[in-house]
Amino acid sequence: MPEVAAIAKDLLERGVVKAVIGYAAAGPNRTRPFIARTAEQANALVFNRHALNNLAVFLTRRRKPVAGPVAVVAKGCDVRALIMLMQEQQVRREDVHIIGVTCGGVASSMGTPWSVETAAPKCAHCRFHTPHLYDSLAEGTEEVGPLPDRSGERIKELEALPPDERFAFWAEQFSRCIRCYACREVCPICSCEQCVADKNQPQWIDRSPTSRGNFAWNLVRAFHLAGRCIGCNECERACPADIPLSLLNRKLAMTALEEFHYIAGTDPAAPTLVGTYDKTDRQDYIA
Amino acid sequence: MTPPGKRYRIGPGQLAAFASALIADGYVVIAESPDGKGFTALKDGSAVAPDTERPPTALSMKDIVFPRAEPVFLYRKTLDDVQVIDPPSPPRGVVTFGVRPCDAASIQTLSKVFDWDYHDELFDTRAERTIVIGTLCRFTDDRCFCTSVGLSPSSTKGSDLFLLPLDDGGWILQIVTDKGSRFVARCLSAFSETDETGEDLVKRYPGPAVRFDPDRIRSWIPANFDHPLWPSLAETCLGCGQCAFACPVCHCFDLIDEADSFQHGRRMKIWDACQFPLFTKHASGHNPRDTQVKRYRQRVSHKFFIYPERFGEILCTGCGRCSRGCGVGIDIAEIVEQIEKTAVAESVARER
Repeated sequence: MPEVAAIAKDLLERGVVKAVIGYAAAGPNRTRPFIARTAEQANALVFNRHALNNLAVFLTRRRKPVAGPVAVVAKGCDVRALIMLMQEQQVRREDVHIIGVTCGGVASSMGTPWSVETAAPKCAHCRFHTPHLYDSLAEGTEEVGPLPDRSGERIKELEALPPDERFAFWAEQFSRCIRCYACREVCPICSCEQCVADKNQPQWIDRSPTSRGNFAWNLVRAFHLAGRCIGCNECERACPADIPLSLLNRKLAMTALEEFHYIAGTDPAAPTLVGTYDKTDRQDYIA
Repeated sequence: MTPPGKRYRIGPGQLAAFASALIADGYVVIAESPDGKGFTALKDGSAVAPDTERPPTALSMKDIVFPRAEPVFLYRKTLDDVQVIDPPSPPRGVVTFGVRPCDAASIQTLSKVFDWDYHDELFDTRAERTIVIGTLCRFTDDRCFCTSVGLSPSSTKGSDLFLLPLDDGGWILQIVTDKGSRFVARCLSAFSETDETGEDLVKRYPGPAVRFDPDRIRSWIPANFDHPLWPSLAETCLGCGQCAFACPVCHCFDLIDEADSFQHGRRMKIWDACQFPLFTKHASGHNPRDTQVKRYRQRVSHKFFIYPERFGEILCTGCGRCSRGCGVGIDIAEIVEQIEKTAVAESVARER
């Protein structure tokens, strides 16, 4: 399989795309997003266990750095975000050349050396080591044996708690929120031109980090991601207050699967879960 | 009163006893939280000794003097009257232990703007009621650049008292300001005066190598507002504002009204950030900084040109928090280095 840089170089040389959004090395055990506009710049593109960013975020309307066709380097999870954006008419399939990469897991944070123990929790339950939609497939990293599913265990523990203790857990977590909205900004699926949290006439959500405002913000965001979040966990990685947002998002994704047999971001032609009404939808949860 | 400059020897364990005594006396004692994320008020003094080999906390200590959100006033409304009520007074007697030089320096830098044409009572009151006990920093990584902005691991700027960690687990306590001297006078009998200057310690921790000369970029910025370098500097910035919220000296805020009901509410002063698209959006809908490139140019300009011109200080302490926390790996020191490189290359070209 060719490497990312070779594919990118070829696409830029042939003028198929105006730019390739990928990863460049940025010190030991680190990469960062990099936009290559020339074949020469494409030499800097890499892919490894530290390619953490979900670059689909650069494809949304308000972020796209270059007019015209672009290519994007995407792991299996990132491709799901691209598909979700296509499902929601935010990205057109023909406007993006997907350079899929095989990915056997990434490290949990920038600067952390890769090992089975330091693998990002999301990689433990990943079923998309080879992206299921791409235009070119590049050599990435190899799958390793089963990874410990730490977030799955944590969700089970939380589910086992009585409601008031579970509430106390989240109250404690949300109390640290400083409302920087980094979670929203790094999220490829938070593609709204104007977020409900930024509206002030009327003001739906308190802007100061009171417990009322923090609950409202974090729960509204979780609800808005239900059936849409593809589990890249960039929100959790970006959070300066270390709020375990992935637990909320994964729980909602699990519910979407169990109750509606729905996995977000797997088929560009599929209707969205919350955007579709079906007469056979469950009704029994409506009191 | 003991004049600033005097030094005292604090034995291992004495620092904890000192902090416990303060807590017993009703002081609010603040130190780095055990998880290293920020600062927290302690229940007892046992965990007060700073681990200065750890990276600086993810969030700075600025919220002690400039909280994430605080009421400016409360209001009560009836159909024909509005009553304005003063906010609760900030706590008295706050003592912050083990503040790194790149954090301690922030209060002086912030007071330049908060006490400029208008005196911000909320900030002034909190700053007046806070004692900053700084400490020599023994941590350096590739994000640190305090030495490029006029500080060092042993700078006492902003500290009222300063600690030097000794190898035996004890400390040298240096009195830096009159305020620090007045505060500590009552407990000095427990410590012995010393001639040790800790000079060898200071030498052992020179901090990161100097990476750039801020004067060189200060003159380049105003002359190059539309330079083609800007769009290439931070084009992957997502505008999340983590950098401003973690920064010890970013100080932009917004004033908003929050109502509990028709009758009650409060006007809040809350952190804001120049990287947010809404920050400069006018009521008309026009936005003078409508792209992330313009917003990032503002961030760099404010820190390295506007603030130094107006207040004589760089709006950056070189702590590296913004770079460590950046989700897309933007490193501000690297960006300033690139500007300096461009500035130098252009001045060489002009001279030829």
